[in-house]
Amino acid sequence: MKYIATVNGNEYPVEVIDERHIRLNGAVQEVDFVAIGNQPVYSLIIDGKSYEAYIYPEGDAWQVLLIGQQYEVRVEEEREKRLSRAAGAPIAETGEFHLKAPMPGLIVSIAVQEGEEVKKGQVLAILESMKMQNELRSPRPGKVTRIRVRVGESVEQKQTLLSVI
Amino acid sequence: MFTKILIANRGEIAVRILRACRELGLETVAVYSEADRQSLHVRYADEAYLLGPAPARDSYLRGDKIIDIARKCGATAIHPGYGFLAERADFAAACAEAGLAFVGPRPESIAAMGDKVRARQTVARAGVPVVPGTEGASGLRDEELLALAPQIGFPLLIKAAAGGGGKGMREVNSLEEMPSLLQAARREAEASFGDGNVYLEKLVEGARHIEFQILADHHGNIIHLGERECSLQRRHQKLLEEAPSPFLGDNEDLRARMGKMAVEAARAVAYCNAGTVEFLVDKDGNFFFLEMNTRLQVEHPVTEMITGIDIVAEQVRIARGRQLSYRQEEVRRIGAAIECRINAENPYEDFMPSTGVITHILAPTGPGVRIDTGVYPGFEITPYYDPMIAKLIVWGETRGQAILRTRRALEEYKIVGVHTNIPFHQTMMDSHRFMGGQYDTRFVEERYSIHEAEENRETYPHIAAIMATLVAHQQMEKRAQVVRRNERDTSNWKWFGRWERMRG
Repeated sequence: MKYIATVNGNEYPVEVIDERHIRLNGAVQEVDFVAIGNQPVYSLIIDGKSYEAYIYPEGDAWQVLLIGQQYEVRVEEEREKRLSRAAGAPIAETGEFHLKAPMPGLIVSIAVQEGEEVKKGQVLAILESMKMQNELRSPRPGKVTRIRVRVGESVEQKQTLLSVI
Repeated sequence: MFTKILIANRGEIAVRILRACRELGLETVAVYSEADRQSLHVRYADEAYLLGPAPARDSYLRGDKIIDIARKCGATAIHPGYGFLAERADFAAACAEAGLAFVGPRPESIAAMGDKVRARQTVARAGVPVVPGTEGASGLRDEELLALAPQIGFPLLIKAAAGGGGKGMREVNSLEEMPSLLQAARREAEASFGDGNVYLEKLVEGARHIEFQILADHHGNIIHLGERECSLQRRHQKLLEEAPSPFLGDNEDLRARMGKMAVEAARAVAYCNAGTVEFLVDKDGNFFFLEMNTRLQVEHPVTEMITGIDIVAEQVRIARGRQLSYRQEEVRRIGAAIECRINAENPYEDFMPSTGVITHILAPTGPGVRIDTGVYPGFEITPYYDPMIAKLIVWGETRGQAILRTRRALEEYKIVGVHTNIPFHQTMMDSHRFMGGQYDTRFVEERYSIHEAEENRETYPHIAAIMATLVAHQQMEKRAQVVRRNERDTSNWKWFGRWERMRG
């Protein structure tokens, strides 16, 4: 089975031939890959080198914690990937940006008003969480619409706070 | 002498104190909020009592309830840990009134050091140098502060009179931006301490943050256990501490002078129990009293590692009215220690706090490694409390060995489920500036970028790609098998049915 793994925008074509062999950059390599116990811990011995990693799914990608570093890896079947590419370019960014709470917390202040023009990087709201006040900024210029929360309100993670057109 | 103690805190520090108390043979009592029912401190203690809902003001800040619980369960001492009620003079006084031994200083000492303006005056009178700033009256109004600012000179800091931990603190570079910053500082101070009073202090540029651990008993003995350097900070929150200070290095003369001043500062408020005197040191080695923390500190383990003294056990001993175990000349330092604060925050996204459930932890072990933590796999990190989930403390024969060991331990440390700042600490251990001890309190904010720091690190994206692909492949195979088995199952039933009909 042929796969394409994407890490940091770089594509790594990996073909799984059987349980013990993969093809990487055209060369067949022997692999010894085992899951450790009931944990998301995996051990890989490849070319005599031993690696250990925590691997778990998050969203539509895999998180790989390897030698103290975290990698986000998207794995797709090569065929699927080609199909999705053929379906056309990704949809252009739509008009509205929804500011979502990155974590649960308390709205300490809303720094803008509906209808206000904001610049990129301008503070939109302050969310207090874990005793820290976190400034939430606009990722792009635009106009503030629909403020959906009030100062003093507790919000859940990913709750939409306001929108910028 | 008390034999049963209530620990009025949560998280790693509650566990740390419980351990010391257990070693001393004391009966232990934990208190907890509704969010902490499953926490380690609740499970480790001999007894545990519910305080109330998750927010601190309804639970860990409810001094009245805590004293009530102590009375009812027969505990005769309270250890406040750090944060929450640790530096509340009124709580210490209420404990005394209730006949409970407070494991900490007298209420008067807490009050004298708690009001930062008063503290500056008090220690200055005892001959301890202080950072130039608004002297005299506390509770100045905005107009008065704005008038005084140009005399102190810019850049300067607005600080909360009741403050600590960088809350209610703002840096001001010009008079124009000062009014809005004053407002922000007062708002934060009011929210954090219930006191919006602020004062001004000149910003010491290129400053190092070096503090001295103090121990004082009820018999007038005051000693220091040497310094810790805590210059690696972000937004005035310490990230990494070490002892001895690489800045002081072999300068025993400066170390001795600072230690003496730290003891004098403590004596000026008739200090008792464990405390920390913080100094700012400029590049020329001039040092200024910053504040005194009248409690056990987060970073106390680095001092424990190099002196071999159990500071919490000493705290209990002092509270029991006994003399200190050590005289100043008996305090020895061996080797070097580093503490990394492991926070649930994402260093790649401007250190944004990260909440969620910790699904797995693999903690480092081996020579010289100590971990103080209150979390475990399955623990949920809520937005109610501090983002610190663990402290990794590493000892080495030399600073160099401590750095190499810390690097090794960080590599072993795996926490899954939430983001942590472990990658930040890793880049620090690889940083030439850190290795050379060339850093000040502004280093992280002004001259550090995790992306740059990681540029030269060896990475293994191809190994990550292979491993993720093999996991994805295994899953796909498993799914395919399930489908195939189902197919066969149906045909088996069909076959069985046919066979039955044939027999009938």
